[in-house]
Amino acid sequence: MSWDLWGPLILCTFLAVVVLPDGREIHDGGPQFAEVFIIVWAGAAVVTLNSKLLGGNISFFQSVCVLGYCLLPGCLSLIVCRILLFFSHSTVAFIIRFLVSCLGFAWATFAAMMFLSDSQLQARRGLAVYPIFLFYLVISWLIVSNTS
Amino acid sequence: MAANVPLLESDDVLEFGEEDEPKGRFKHPMVVLFHVGFRSAALVVYMLCGWFDVSFIGSFVTTILLLSIDFWTVKNITGRILVGLRWWNFIDEKGQSHWVFEARKSGSQGRVSSTEARIFWTALVVFPVLWGVMLLVAVVTLKIRWFVLDCIALSLNCSNLWGFVRCKAGGSETSVTDSVKNMASSLMRQQMLANMASMFTRSPPNAGGSNSNV
Repeated sequence: MSWDLWGPLILCTFLAVVVLPDGREIHDGGPQFAEVFIIVWAGAAVVTLNSKLLGGNISFFQSVCVLGYCLLPGCLSLIVCRILLFFSHSTVAFIIRFLVSCLGFAWATFAAMMFLSDSQLQARRGLAVYPIFLFYLVISWLIVSNTS
Repeated sequence: MAANVPLLESDDVLEFGEEDEPKGRFKHPMVVLFHVGFRSAALVVYMLCGWFDVSFIGSFVTTILLLSIDFWTVKNITGRILVGLRWWNFIDEKGQSHWVFEARKSGSQGRVSSTEARIFWTALVVFPVLWGVMLLVAVVTLKIRWFVLDCIALSLNCSNLWGFVRCKAGGSETSVTDSVKNMASSLMRQQMLANMASMFTRSPPNAGGSNSNV
């Protein structure tokens, strides 16, 4: 499978631009903007290192590429959350946003698992999947907390 | 008309009609422009937005866009056209990743213009240094947001530099330090030969040294 990092870069930039909380000026950006970049790229690197150290048979850039592209469900859930936020700020809307984010998180983790756990031994699959789970959990939490 | 046998051991035979090309004219002016243009634009946008306090996000996204365009252009286009080098990565069926570094053999498809090559390498080396300076400035003044941008810029620029140095150094067989030493010694050898050649061809004014009309 050939890899490229353009998709992850675009998705990461999109995530960083759209995830800003309401009321913050575009001018300032706050720490969240750079934070998203650091979380995504450093997180992907750490997860990849973890799989490689556990004896995985996948190249570094391929793994980072897969993790980056699996940000897509997160971006989609972010778009849905934003649209919902535009219409109402009620508790019901929050519950719907929360569920949408959970769905995005589950989809992303599942997709990444499909790609990356094939290269792991059966006994260590859990150890390899747990950081992926954490990675997307943090990103989904970012999405939910910043669109409230 | 005896052919001019070059004193240096190189197969850079001039193509017919190319002897009259004036030195300093670019063979690929647009390529040179784009090679230097995107890098300079990225650095200029970064510096201007940092100093004039323009919107951070806008400048961040613009800088990253320019850096990405520059990376792609240098890796795929200007490296190939200006100096005949290219590098890439491919994954084989077993899932192993291979890095391939290739250099075009001189003389097969036109020579590499030395002015353009000089500009290429200069730009390739100077900009990572400049970005490194920006990184240090961001660290010292504790501007973490700009630090992230500097890291990205440095990684993109240095990866191109690394790739082309590996190409120049002859691919993955030889180690880079050995190849750099080889390059330096061959450069010195060429310089010495050129000096000797100029000494011999600089004949004194009243000696019958010219052999052009036989």
